[in-house]
Amino acid sequence: MNGSMGQRLRIDLTNRTYEIEKLPESYYKKWIGGRGMNSEVVYHESFQGMDPFDPDNPLCFGSGPLVGSFAPLSGRTTISTRSPMTCSNMGTGIHGHGDTNMGGGWGPMMKYAGFDQIIVKGKSEKPVYVFVDDNKIEFKDASHLWGIGTKKATMKILEELGDHDIRVALIGPAGEKLVRFACVMNSFSASGGRTGMGAVMGSKNLKAIAVRGTNPVKIAHPQEFMKASWALREKIHNSPSAIRRRAEGSLDLFDVGNAIGINAHKNCSTGYMKDIETLYGGMQWANEFLFRRKACWSCPVGCGRYTYIKEGKYAGFNCGGPEMESLCNLGPRIDSEDIAGVTVMCGIVNELGMDSVSAGAALSWTMEAFEKGYITEKDTDGLRLEWGDVDTSIKVLDMIAKREGFGDLLAEGNIRVAEKLGVGMDIVPHCRGLEHISVDPRVALGFSLGYAMSTRGSDHLKNYSCLEFPGCAKSRAYQVDEVLKPATAKKFWDNFPSQMTQIDTKPELCNWSEKNKCIADAVGCCCQAIGSWGGAGTWKEAYAPLLKLATGFDYNDDEIFKTAERIINIERAHWLRDGSAIQDDTHIDRYFDEPVAGGPHKGLKLDREQWAWAQQEYYALKNWDNFGFITDDKALDLDIPEIIPDMEKGKKIFSDWVIKTTA
Amino acid sequence: MQQNTQTKLIIVDPDKCTGCHSCEMACSIKHFEMCGTNYSRIRVHEFRDVNTFIPVMCQACEEPICFKVCPMNARVRLESGAMVTEDYICIGCKACIHACPFGAAIMNPVTSKTMSCDLCNDDELGPWCVKACTMQKALSYVRAGDASKARGREWAKSLTDDYKVPGTKEDDFGFSFNV
Repeated sequence: MNGSMGQRLRIDLTNRTYEIEKLPESYYKKWIGGRGMNSEVVYHESFQGMDPFDPDNPLCFGSGPLVGSFAPLSGRTTISTRSPMTCSNMGTGIHGHGDTNMGGGWGPMMKYAGFDQIIVKGKSEKPVYVFVDDNKIEFKDASHLWGIGTKKATMKILEELGDHDIRVALIGPAGEKLVRFACVMNSFSASGGRTGMGAVMGSKNLKAIAVRGTNPVKIAHPQEFMKASWALREKIHNSPSAIRRRAEGSLDLFDVGNAIGINAHKNCSTGYMKDIETLYGGMQWANEFLFRRKACWSCPVGCGRYTYIKEGKYAGFNCGGPEMESLCNLGPRIDSEDIAGVTVMCGIVNELGMDSVSAGAALSWTMEAFEKGYITEKDTDGLRLEWGDVDTSIKVLDMIAKREGFGDLLAEGNIRVAEKLGVGMDIVPHCRGLEHISVDPRVALGFSLGYAMSTRGSDHLKNYSCLEFPGCAKSRAYQVDEVLKPATAKKFWDNFPSQMTQIDTKPELCNWSEKNKCIADAVGCCCQAIGSWGGAGTWKEAYAPLLKLATGFDYNDDEIFKTAERIINIERAHWLRDGSAIQDDTHIDRYFDEPVAGGPHKGLKLDREQWAWAQQEYYALKNWDNFGFITDDKALDLDIPEIIPDMEKGKKIFSDWVIKTTA
Repeated sequence: MQQNTQTKLIIVDPDKCTGCHSCEMACSIKHFEMCGTNYSRIRVHEFRDVNTFIPVMCQACEEPICFKVCPMNARVRLESGAMVTEDYICIGCKACIHACPFGAAIMNPVTSKTMSCDLCNDDELGPWCVKACTMQKALSYVRAGDASKARGREWAKSLTDDYKVPGTKEDDFGFSFNV
């Protein structure tokens, strides 16, 4: 097989057995790889109402056909499973699809070992780690690694196995304790953070998967592939946005973010933090803390940072990272101006193995709840969290990971905390139980619609409609005209640049950008190049030619685009099967009622009528029905007829819930 | 074995390496039309706990040990200065692999004989690893005589403060020297 390796590994932890499954070409044509293969497995091998901590819940690690090749940015791995973190508005016990994407170099090494995907099922009696050494799979005792942070545990595994080229994907103490937003780390500081994949790994008593491979990735048309790869590398390398990102890391987004007034601040409530760009800006940060850069596999950009704090309270602290979202969610989100302290917090969450977004959300929710008087020291065992209090925050992060005291409650995720305490549900900024990242959903309405429609709960990286931002649209005007219908494009440019805050063009833009992003995930490349800094162009310019040359398949662009749609629909079907439809495709009341508090978009809020219009418009573009269920026609068109009976069951759950709530 | 100042070699600045392994990908696809670290003649050794990455490849020594230990005289020097293995002479005894002090002689996974950097054999793009290392130029392809020049200049520059080399004070004159 070219591009892909043609087989996947199934691991059963209960019986400590494994099976190597050969896959036909038609399978790769249908699902491409990475996110596609994962979503297919997760949908078909889980069932409606399944508990994410059920041993049978399939935990999938998938890489795409371009992963581990000479194609630029090809180092991504998608991890998918039924998520313990996300939930429906119908109840926090109703779960759905969850996935996360990590960089580093674990995915390429898995491919060199000969597998496109590793599926882990079952539950080990004792802590275990798996060593995949080409075709040899070993189950090794991990009792001595239990409770140890990600960096130290990785070092121990590498020393134990005696080869520092081995890549290790593992969980920290948070994953072991089933913190619902625990992450999976690889290559020391590349994390698959969102939706709690680490918790599922922990529930299987699986500390780590170490991989070493000696096989090559074969390419169908090597000469043309080389030419296309060189061209794309050059293009990315020389793009102005990539040059900036190389120097500043993803922290370059702070000043852009604040200029257009979208940054999260104070629990995603204000939308603007004064002077964020001078406090957190990439150059300032780099001058003070950057030790050396690091990059994911085959990446000509290298936005990764490595921190070394030279002086002050935290002198000597060093860690991988931070990335913009980590810094923003642990900094401005809790209203802190202590950059060194926040950087240290980013290192700590990595070490403990937690999602920095949800961890920041847990802190900021508690702070706002204190401010509003929803909770008192009585609820938190005497702990008081005030805005910007880094010292206490560090303590609380540790408590969350170890599930001690109030941390035990916070480890359940904001929405469950609010549910259990009976207060503060109105200040949980979430969609489908997953907290928002650092873009305010009242301002950037494409992102906003994306959060709500995302197949893994609130997240910008599922529906990456960066073209709505004035800077992106201006520098890539031809893309706007290419992806939108002429009438919509006219509307877009007529209102430029204020179109960011207007919803009328957004359903169409989101419908396209969602598939654009999906293809990057499926082939295993970085989405940033076709998204936020856009140095590579769209999926059509960047990844489609490489995919065709690597695999040698004769599919055309339309078929690839349709595959992306199939992947999105099967993920959506996962939610619909559990009855989660239109009622979850929305935002909390706060964003409809409370305006943005400051910055260039002061006073802006979501409009219920417009939102309903956007929902319906979006469903229509997707050929879904009025409640957001996938129609039979659509399922047949996408060649996934097996979801039709499941849709019926989902509709039943949905209508029962509607009757119950309206009665 | 004549070395002159026109001979070029690849020099490494580990301080700039980000551990992206692009060089390995370029090397393997150039020589094998496949991608894989095991198929690469350049290897990036990682020390991720301190975020340090050091690429290692054949240094084309002046007195190559691989040449001395080879029982078949299969290690030959190309015009470019690179030391390579003649596959049809090599018997795959791996003596050079044992002997190389850098660990830069690597087993060819296809033939089980030895492979080492051939500087891409005068490819018009130059050595592919260097071209792929576009990020910060951790690798550069320079004339042997200039290999230490950049570092020398950097060091010398650090001394300019000590020696108080006078700069030009354009503002004092009210005009620019560059007009």
